[in-house]
Amino acid sequence: MAVEPTDVAAVVLAAHPHALVVAALGTATSALRLASDDGPHLYLGGAMGSALATALGVAEAVPERTVVALLGDGELLMSANGLWSVAAYRPANLVTVVLTDGLYSITGGQPLPVDPCFADVAGALPGLTAARVSDGGNLRDALLELPRPALVEAVVRTGSRPGPSPFVDPGTVRTRFTAALRATAAERQDTGQEVVTCTADR
Amino acid sequence: MSGSLAWAAAVGDALADGGVDVAAYLPDSRLQGVLVRLAERGVAMRCLTREEECVGYAAGRALAGGRPVVLMQCSGLGNSLNALGSLVVAYGIGLPLVLSMRGTLGEANPAQVPIGLATPALLAALGVPVYPLRDPHGGDAASTVGGVLTLVQRAGRTAAVALEPELGGGRGAH
Repeated sequence: MAVEPTDVAAVVLAAHPHALVVAALGTATSALRLASDDGPHLYLGGAMGSALATALGVAEAVPERTVVALLGDGELLMSANGLWSVAAYRPANLVTVVLTDGLYSITGGQPLPVDPCFADVAGALPGLTAARVSDGGNLRDALLELPRPALVEAVVRTGSRPGPSPFVDPGTVRTRFTAALRATAAERQDTGQEVVTCTADR
Repeated sequence: MSGSLAWAAAVGDALADGGVDVAAYLPDSRLQGVLVRLAERGVAMRCLTREEECVGYAAGRALAGGRPVVLMQCSGLGNSLNALGSLVVAYGIGLPLVLSMRGTLGEANPAQVPIGLATPALLAALGVPVYPLRDPHGGDAASTVGGVLTLVQRAGRTAAVALEPELGGGRGAH
């Protein structure tokens, strides 16, 4: 059994509604745009292989917020070295979610030459937890229960293509993302409290 | 303090005085004194695995309100071009880069020469200016690094400092 990429994004948003999501170019960005009604997340329209590093930077800048790196499997193959950096610095607010379908969808669906086994790899690294899931219930459980930093490898339906384009306008993405960050920071200042409205957000 | 350490401390101090709060870097012999000074000044140090990763990390950190600096050998610039072009420049993120130059004056390793020679042109092609440091006593460090940080923090541009071979902190026999 496997789920749709958009369903994965929807489960992520339901489990962590106040999370900042960094979405890689391709299926990850399209799925998140659809599931969040084009919410103010950090969609990368290029820089394939940089989304995990970018998410690590965001996570360390705002340790009070849950940060999700939403990646494709081809994307993470280009930057799997970043998992070692996550193991080195171990941000307690970072969750990496990998959409695994075994294809480079953005370039036409060419197959990955090998099963990347990301959950096995991440699970072997010190300080990371990992799970491979193939249905929404197990995905939600993993998102809520795995100690962080965590990697969740979600097996998604092969060849599934979400609707919206991954070709975003960078200036608009940046403006909306930074405005959303400032708004939540101002909210914390107004209330004198951390924004913790979801029990899943630690 | 020797001359080579003087410039390194001055660069580290200029970055810290300019508000830099985290350094993403790959190890390098000429950078070492700068890295030590940054750590002494309380800047968070992030030794990552590849230069492209440093650029992505710093982009995320900057977008979320931080003040990162990226330090690398210029040979690593080649690994970073797509992240610089399609993330940092495309998204209008200002980042300061500190490049330890290889392949230029006095280079003994022929494999380092092509990227070293191309570094200013590669950066120029992306619209990123690069400003050299050459004084081993650090006399040009505060003004140059400070100027680059102003470009980054106030003009919102990405700009680079090139640590030239005249500074010392060299490559030894290798």
